[in-house]
Amino acid sequence: MKNKLSWFAVPYVVWMALLVVVPILIMVVYAFTTAEMEGTLENFAEMGAYAAVFLRSFRLALVATLICLLIGYPVSYWMAQEGAGFQRVAMALIMLPMWMNFLLRTYSWMSILENNGLLNQLFQAVGLLELLGVDHIQMLRTSGAVVLGMVYNYLPFMILPIYSVIVKLDHSLLEAARDLGADSSGVFRKVILPLSLPGVISGITMVFVPAVSTFAISRLLGGGTQMMLGDLIEQQFVGGSYNPHLGAAIALVMMVIVVVCMAAMNHFGEGEEQAVML
Amino acid sequence: MKKHSRTGSRLLIGLTFLFLYAPILLLIVFSFNVGDSSAVWKGFSLHWYTRLFQNRLIMESVYTTLLVSLLATAISTAAGTFAAIGLYSLGRRKREALLTVNNIPMVNADIVTGVSMCLFFVAFFQFWGSFARWFNSVQRVVELPERLVLGFGTLLLAHVVFNIPYVILNVAPKLRQMDRNLMEAAQDLGCTWMQAFWKVMLPEIKPGIVSGALIAFTMSIDDFIISYFTAGSANSTLAMTIYSMTKKRVTPEINAVSTLLFLSVLVLLVLSNLKEVRQQARSRQDAVRRPSALERLRQRLAQPRYLWLRRGGAAALAGVFVCVVAMLARETSSRPVVNVCSWGEYIDTALITQFEEETGIRVNYQTAESNETLYSLLKSGGADYDVVVPSDYMIGQLLEEGMLEKLDYSQIPNFSLIDGRFQNLSYDPTNEYTVPYTWGTLGIIYNTAMVQEEIDSWSALYDDKYAGSVLLINNSRDALGAALLSLGHSVNTTDEAEIRAAYALVADANRRGVFQGRVMDEVFQAMEGGNAAIATYYAGDYLSMLENNEDLAFVVPKEGSNWFVDAMCILKDAPHQKEAHQWINFIASTQANLANMDYIGYASPNREALERYPAYYEEQYGEELDPALYEIMAAPPEVLERCEAYLNLPASTRALYNELWIQLGTE
Repeated sequence: MKNKLSWFAVPYVVWMALLVVVPILIMVVYAFTTAEMEGTLENFAEMGAYAAVFLRSFRLALVATLICLLIGYPVSYWMAQEGAGFQRVAMALIMLPMWMNFLLRTYSWMSILENNGLLNQLFQAVGLLELLGVDHIQMLRTSGAVVLGMVYNYLPFMILPIYSVIVKLDHSLLEAARDLGADSSGVFRKVILPLSLPGVISGITMVFVPAVSTFAISRLLGGGTQMMLGDLIEQQFVGGSYNPHLGAAIALVMMVIVVVCMAAMNHFGEGEEQAVML
Repeated sequence: MKKHSRTGSRLLIGLTFLFLYAPILLLIVFSFNVGDSSAVWKGFSLHWYTRLFQNRLIMESVYTTLLVSLLATAISTAAGTFAAIGLYSLGRRKREALLTVNNIPMVNADIVTGVSMCLFFVAFFQFWGSFARWFNSVQRVVELPERLVLGFGTLLLAHVVFNIPYVILNVAPKLRQMDRNLMEAAQDLGCTWMQAFWKVMLPEIKPGIVSGALIAFTMSIDDFIISYFTAGSANSTLAMTIYSMTKKRVTPEINAVSTLLFLSVLVLLVLSNLKEVRQQARSRQDAVRRPSALERLRQRLAQPRYLWLRRGGAAALAGVFVCVVAMLARETSSRPVVNVCSWGEYIDTALITQFEEETGIRVNYQTAESNETLYSLLKSGGADYDVVVPSDYMIGQLLEEGMLEKLDYSQIPNFSLIDGRFQNLSYDPTNEYTVPYTWGTLGIIYNTAMVQEEIDSWSALYDDKYAGSVLLINNSRDALGAALLSLGHSVNTTDEAEIRAAYALVADANRRGVFQGRVMDEVFQAMEGGNAAIATYYAGDYLSMLENNEDLAFVVPKEGSNWFVDAMCILKDAPHQKEAHQWINFIASTQANLANMDYIGYASPNREALERYPAYYEEQYGEELDPALYEIMAAPPEVLERCEAYLNLPASTRALYNELWIQLGTE
């Protein structure tokens, strides 16, 4: 039986080789060639000019990931303490926003954050603007707005894996810890936290990777002033400065940095592969 | 668990949900707005819902999205399940190595996956092209298509590629939990291998398959980035349509379609939750209750002798599905087609329908963001357009690179209606390649409620007085062009020192915080809502902004400005030459020009349309057209005199523009 079933894997291995591995190899080839298909390292040398964009992308994505973790961990932890009905509804509510297109949700923030937007109107109404002596607070088109957009869009990706790990924790372990004299903070620090680490790690991955490479969020909420790696790559492929070779090189470097970071994280968390969602 | 007060924790959970749902509620509320703003409430109405079903751009993209998501989910669920079963019967080491590869599309940023797939497809098409040419030359029996382009097929492939890993990841844990001996036991008890597979293994892993399929479908529906790079010219998903709209103005029809989608999922979720809760309650309450009629029917159908009925039903469903797909495919392939690429909100869409009804030709109408985007789409070989509408300087560049086809003017009799002023222009001096579509001027738009004085000079854009309320146009040619004019240079200068001086002016103002942001079509929302005071943009767009904010004023500065022509061209070797000529002739007609002028606010190059427009306006709206506004739309000769058209710059100057513009972005 074993051998018969393993034949099922063959088409998929071919498929992966063709449509996952080969495209990445082609990207690598592009990164190391010029438009005339001659080998070169120039694309990488040229990238020095974009160091500021690299730094900004990683900084903003890091901040967003941290905020997601700070909100996501307690929320998932407390959610896991609730009754089954509450949990089911809460999980559904967390998945549900993904059915409203993310661009549209982000666009909606634009009308909230605008200088004459809902938030500024609210500040006006409660007298905050008067107190500060300004006629509006500039929120849209700042790096803060970009971080907010990332947190908003990717928070569910932090909550889902952490929650699914915590909810499956063996309660007898917690009881044992308590019986052995740990107080509640001790139980949390010494038992729950270490055991939920795999969830935290996959949460961090699932937030950080899309955040560092986004281009729509920075574009909409950053108002063109917060250029990120995604914008840079997009510009090389479909934007003003058409140069897919440079674009491929930037994408490659970004991929390598991300993979190295993630490998380090996984090593640190000894994460066994997790079924990440649901 | 400890029983202490949960108020604090529930408050945090509640606040998190408020944060997640506030923007969504806002979107839903504004889908019922009378007006088309997403910030000003003008009263309740359902008319966006009726408009939605008439908006073919949106409906087509909804259709593409659903079709691609359903097909991708079906394919990737089946393939992923088999792959997972296969992987789990391999040895541990092999399995883990393969699973690592499997995780690549998930761990990789979407943009890397998108970009690599795009490069792969383009490379494959090139390879295919040379193969097909060789193959067609050695035999005459089968003729292979020599030219493949990005389209529905590549979009579907890309979706399947990123969906399969999710399916595998959800099926794998169930396989791990399943007792390996079950299959053998079933076979020992007399099942054939197939029976054991269907009756033992599949039911065991079914929950994993279902959740995998659900996630795959959700991911497909929500995906934007990968589709953006692989869909090419002919298809756009809902997300792509929304992306092109977020840059201008999201029409409330989009809010309406998203509300419908959102509510239907909500209802499904509530129903499935209720069913689950009720089942649990029932199993607790009365295990011996009399089954309802429906349940009795289900039980009877479950009996083996009704097997044929179930199988037949499933087969019929599958058959219907295949027929529908086949019919749709025939419908789209058998009718003559013309692929048009233009700019967002740049045509009265009723004209498309009219053309289709008159000629029976299906118009595949796509939009690009800017001349530069269009250029890179064409360059990458991913697009399959017949007709494009680039601006003057880009036409020059496309001509220089031999990318345009000569037009057959005998098929375009309406060309004779084009005013002499718009014929034989610098980009096409002998007028062999182009038919003008619109023309207009670039100028300063400002909000008179926020700016006290009358602005008449480009220098206002760099003035500390307006710090934090100026919007810079996010396009190197226009932004640096304005700075060049402000310094008294020509917009077409190739002098590096002059261009660098213009850049210094912009960069310096940027450092002093004069600019609130860099925008293209986002300017609509910002200016209409009074969120910024001054912006550079096109006259035609000013007129549509004016409809939503009466305080806005437009001026062509005293230093002069750019005047531009956008013209229709046919791409070299375009597959639908005849249809493309028909389309161009139709759009060049006086009636189409009047409709377009009225709809988009840009002036027409058609002599008759220009003369008749004021009367047409009066007929449509029952009031006289303000002559001052008409002068903004169609600038009079004395204004045009101080304006310059953009010429196609030499490659070295273009590279300089590019370099400077990116430098500004990294600051």
